[in-house]
Amino acid sequence: MKEYRKLSIPYLVWTVIFIVIPLILIVLYAFTVGGNPVRTLNFTLSNFAKVNEPTYIRVFIKSLELGVLTTAICLFAGYPLAYIISRFPDEQQDILILVVTIPTWINMLLRTYAWMNLLSDNGIINGLLAKLGLGSLHMMYTDFAVIIGMVCNFMPFMIIPIHTSLQKMDPSLIEAAMDLGASPLQTFRKIILRLSMPGVINGIVMVFLMGISSFVIPKLLGGGQYVLIGNLIESQFITVGDWNFGSAISTILAVIILIAMRLMKKMDLKEADGE
Amino acid sequence: MDKIIELKNLTKNYGDQQVLRGINLDIHQNEFLTLLGPSGCGKTTTLRIIAGFEEPSSGQVLFDGMDITPVPSYKREVNTVFQKYALFPHMNVFDNVAFGLNIRKIDKNVVKTKVDRMLALVGLADFGTRDVTRLSGGQQQRVAIARALVNEPKVLLLDEPLGALDAKLRKEMQVELKKIQQEVGITFVFVTHDQEEALTMSDTVVVLNEGTIQQIGTPIDIYNEPENRFVANFIGESNIIDGIMNHDLLVTFDDVQFECVDKGFPENEPVDVVLRPEDIDIVKPEDGKLTGVVRSVVFKGVHYEISVETKYRTYKIHTTDYCAVGTPVGLTLTPDDIHIMWKMGSY
Amino acid sequence: MQKKSKGIFSKIYIALCFAFFYLPIVVTIVFSFNSSKSLSNFTGFSLRWYASLLQNGEVVKAVYVSVTIAVLATIISTVLGTITAIGLSKTRKILRDAMLSLNDIPILNPDIVTAISLMLLFSSLGMEKGYMTMLLAHIGFCTPFVITSVYPKVRGLDPSLADAAMDLGATPFQALTKVILPILRPGIFAGILLSFTMSFDDFVISYFVSGNGVKNISIVVYNMTKRINSTINALSTLVILVIILVLVAFRILPRVHRKRHPEEAGKDKSRKNRNLGIGMAALAGLLVLGTWAAVHTSGASRELRVYNAGEYMDLDLLKEFEQKYNCTVIYETFESNETMYTKLLAGDQYDILVPSDYMIERLIKEDYLQPLDWDLISNKDAINPDVLGKDYDPDNTYSVPYFWGNVGILYDKRVVSQEDAAQGWDLLMNPKYAGRLYMYDSERDSMMVALKALGYSMNTSDPQQLQEAYDWLIKQRDTMKPIYAGDDVIDNMISGNKAIAVVYSGDATYIMSENPNLGYIMPDQGTNLWYDAMVMTKSCRNTELAEEFMDFFLEKDNALRNTQFVGYSSPVESVYEQMQNEDYEGISAYVPRVGYEKDEIFHYQDAETKKLFAQLWTKVKAQ
Repeated sequence: MKEYRKLSIPYLVWTVIFIVIPLILIVLYAFTVGGNPVRTLNFTLSNFAKVNEPTYIRVFIKSLELGVLTTAICLFAGYPLAYIISRFPDEQQDILILVVTIPTWINMLLRTYAWMNLLSDNGIINGLLAKLGLGSLHMMYTDFAVIIGMVCNFMPFMIIPIHTSLQKMDPSLIEAAMDLGASPLQTFRKIILRLSMPGVINGIVMVFLMGISSFVIPKLLGGGQYVLIGNLIESQFITVGDWNFGSAISTILAVIILIAMRLMKKMDLKEADGE
Repeated sequence: MDKIIELKNLTKNYGDQQVLRGINLDIHQNEFLTLLGPSGCGKTTTLRIIAGFEEPSSGQVLFDGMDITPVPSYKREVNTVFQKYALFPHMNVFDNVAFGLNIRKIDKNVVKTKVDRMLALVGLADFGTRDVTRLSGGQQQRVAIARALVNEPKVLLLDEPLGALDAKLRKEMQVELKKIQQEVGITFVFVTHDQEEALTMSDTVVVLNEGTIQQIGTPIDIYNEPENRFVANFIGESNIIDGIMNHDLLVTFDDVQFECVDKGFPENEPVDVVLRPEDIDIVKPEDGKLTGVVRSVVFKGVHYEISVETKYRTYKIHTTDYCAVGTPVGLTLTPDDIHIMWKMGSY
Repeated sequence: MQKKSKGIFSKIYIALCFAFFYLPIVVTIVFSFNSSKSLSNFTGFSLRWYASLLQNGEVVKAVYVSVTIAVLATIISTVLGTITAIGLSKTRKILRDAMLSLNDIPILNPDIVTAISLMLLFSSLGMEKGYMTMLLAHIGFCTPFVITSVYPKVRGLDPSLADAAMDLGATPFQALTKVILPILRPGIFAGILLSFTMSFDDFVISYFVSGNGVKNISIVVYNMTKRINSTINALSTLVILVIILVLVAFRILPRVHRKRHPEEAGKDKSRKNRNLGIGMAALAGLLVLGTWAAVHTSGASRELRVYNAGEYMDLDLLKEFEQKYNCTVIYETFESNETMYTKLLAGDQYDILVPSDYMIERLIKEDYLQPLDWDLISNKDAINPDVLGKDYDPDNTYSVPYFWGNVGILYDKRVVSQEDAAQGWDLLMNPKYAGRLYMYDSERDSMMVALKALGYSMNTSDPQQLQEAYDWLIKQRDTMKPIYAGDDVIDNMISGNKAIAVVYSGDATYIMSENPNLGYIMPDQGTNLWYDAMVMTKSCRNTELAEEFMDFFLEKDNALRNTQFVGYSSPVESVYEQMQNEDYEGISAYVPRVGYEKDEIFHYQDAETKKLFAQLWTKVKAQ
């Protein structure tokens, strides 16, 4: 197939223009101060030094916590769903996966507004509770609301890769395990779970990325006190206009993500070693 | 020999499609039994029902006299070698083979001894730490057999296990499988569509077609005395000719009367006459009961395959003597060479 | 065996998960038919939001932009991504690994970073922002998803497949289209699905890379948030409907067809695929042409680019202006003064801006504006003298007032006593109301509240005073547990979710007109008095038209309609008085306090103070 080698050239050019150069711009901003770095080039590490402050460290930790928690919930709730779906006949599986996908086509902001109306103190859920003669729940502007919103938005991105890896698994492997005396539970643990790891890892990466860098959902459902890395970057670029500091935070975030990815890839390689 | 598995009137439907139409079969201890038939005949379904991967629509599976129809596969004392082996890609050779033992929480040292012994048996003594995906087809095959046998099942089920191997390797494995079976002394139920494989290895051959058993017998019985046109056609090569059974020991076909050894048919019953190609002798035209002209000669290694065109049909003949194309020849048959079958559907 | 273990629990679990996913969507749909504005109380069935949606040209255009961008970006990035994935599998390992790593970057980078970096790129390339830049950006972030979906499938291909096809006489191109692509179809399909989803739903990147009036649905929705109303619910209901129709067309119809004509099923497939391909290509072509036309026919001789805050103008007035002066207005909205400034900094061109006082001060200082010819503004005498001659532009050389107001406290009269309300900013520290108040999530406004409560000037840069203000906010945070809300405070206060909120007077006016239980106080300690005004940029060519535009909004009828629509206080005196006596009778928030010595106007802050404010505010919020 060497005839096709040239096919990747257009994208190579594209990558340089639309990925490499913008990235260089950001890094340049991160390591300089004031004005336009391309013209002035005053290199400094002060932007990074600034991050080393309890407030910002807390922001990073909070973002990580929220990212990990969201990812964990999506995984533990999403895996069973992906698994159940993968046991339906092929035709029905397609439809079910579509049903999982469709909500992601509805504007994320709109769905988040809907959650606000559901969860707020005088919202729909509390209205229903009142009609049933039950006391009201305080849900809006809590961790609960933020987690609900993030999980609802991100879970499809966990389910789809897991389902893909479950679906392409050779069913005779499962039969073989049962045949060798493994109970359904043992078969699941020793075979199905292990072989779906590539999908699980893909899902974790996707959801964790979205979770750690999201800022609109936490802001709307958690209120302004939810300062996360995403908010910090946004406000540096937009409100404060300190692009250098904003770039520095972005760079750190990118590095954290790259490290997390490397770790995941390593696990992935170990898992996929056999494939 | 004691019966170990009995299939009682098994049927299986997928939607409105009937794949098994009442299978009754006894499988005995230490028997090498082969389910033989073309694809879609129901042989694999039968095997999967024995393994417990599928439930029959009706009927029973008895194991040592006990009804195991509702027992799930992981509680049955049978193990399977899968068509494409189904080795676990995330485990090495040793872990694959040890899987069943580990599931039963057997002592590690015992596991090691058993697995090593089994790997030695299949000729993979030093392969324990190898990655299963990097093995050749034949090696994967051996791992799959070892993985199943190490659990010491009473019955080993093999689902076309040699299908993916090349011809030479397949021959070797046939011999080896037979050897292993004799060594471990358990029942093998083997599924194949390859009649030669079936005849070579089996104690008993079960010929299936369209969900029904056509014939059960030893390879020799099946070959020499096929019960109907389907079996005769499917097992080996045959010349199958319409004939009339005049009376016991005398049959007429192609306008000629032949003596035969079959009896018990009504007088003047239409029958199928089976003539194996190697049983027909080519003689001088004047000495033959039938005459014809050689139309083609193909060298097959051990013998020639010669087509002789007679008045009514073309006979296929296997012989070690060469005849040139165009030669007029005569054909003779001894009574032993003629096998008479009931017409299909008339018995 | 394996396809059947679907117990009742599995089914319940699926149902629960789907209920969770679809709950917000169902709410959206239900409330699109609500007869009132409320988003949490269903008062009756009505189609009014659908009517208002259809009348809203901005939304219709945005739908067009969203759909065309999503379709085009999906088609282009699918083609680009697929051929790249195929090419990559044949590329040398070093280059391949490098490209795959690079390819991960847009996926891994937070959207905001990608957005800013692309914005920087486009402005340094001198590209005019609009449909094209948005499309390029979307292709940019969709293609990596296609590659990551397709590449694993390419890697799993039998390398001899293409050789086999070519051995049988296929050209490399035929081998690609007839053998390789069909095998890769599942991966390509996944890529298409992901691209379309990502593109259709994108907000952040689109927001930063588009301009010149090109907006997708997300941008319009985000700008609408100030006045959440069910128009967006109606819009999303329609979107859902369209998606379902498309799915039915793509999935169910072929099946019905196959059932009716089973004999055609097999042989039809390739033809259908080709038809689909041709159809898609034709659609794409039409879209490009249509867009080209839409973007470029509007480039008539007289054109005015206006950049205003979101939900801050009665758009019908724009149409009338266009007709009256035979011109085209390209209208864009921003979320905050700072966003506007960021866009200006990135090189976006506008003729008229509507920023606030301190931003105008900055723009004047940084030489972004040009002086107005007041002779052309015939309605200048109608302007309320109270809103003229303020510090930010002492002689109104550059600015024509648009709206004005102050910041105050909105409170629930049933909960907060008159007496407590009189405490002004100290009410925000009154432990009686702990957990029942909203602060405004903006560093400047919150610091203003703290500084005023302490009796300082809100324009101070004295570190001691700032520290005290910071301590005040920390104490408030710890004792009062306020929610730091954005524009969502409007809907929250209308629904009566909490008792107290710091709000802009114009928003207060609107909220009070919807919820009569509320009162508004302008604290005795003094507050922020603000003015938004229309200014003309240096780059404005058709200055006369720009001045006519400003004049148009000072005309009595127009000013009246605008203030009725927006709810903020009009700078036109007669209108202002009429509104006080009619529409907003008794709503104190419509009448900002003037001439009170403790009230101040924000001044432009230098970069260092600004950073300090931001840092302090982050510290307050991120406990």
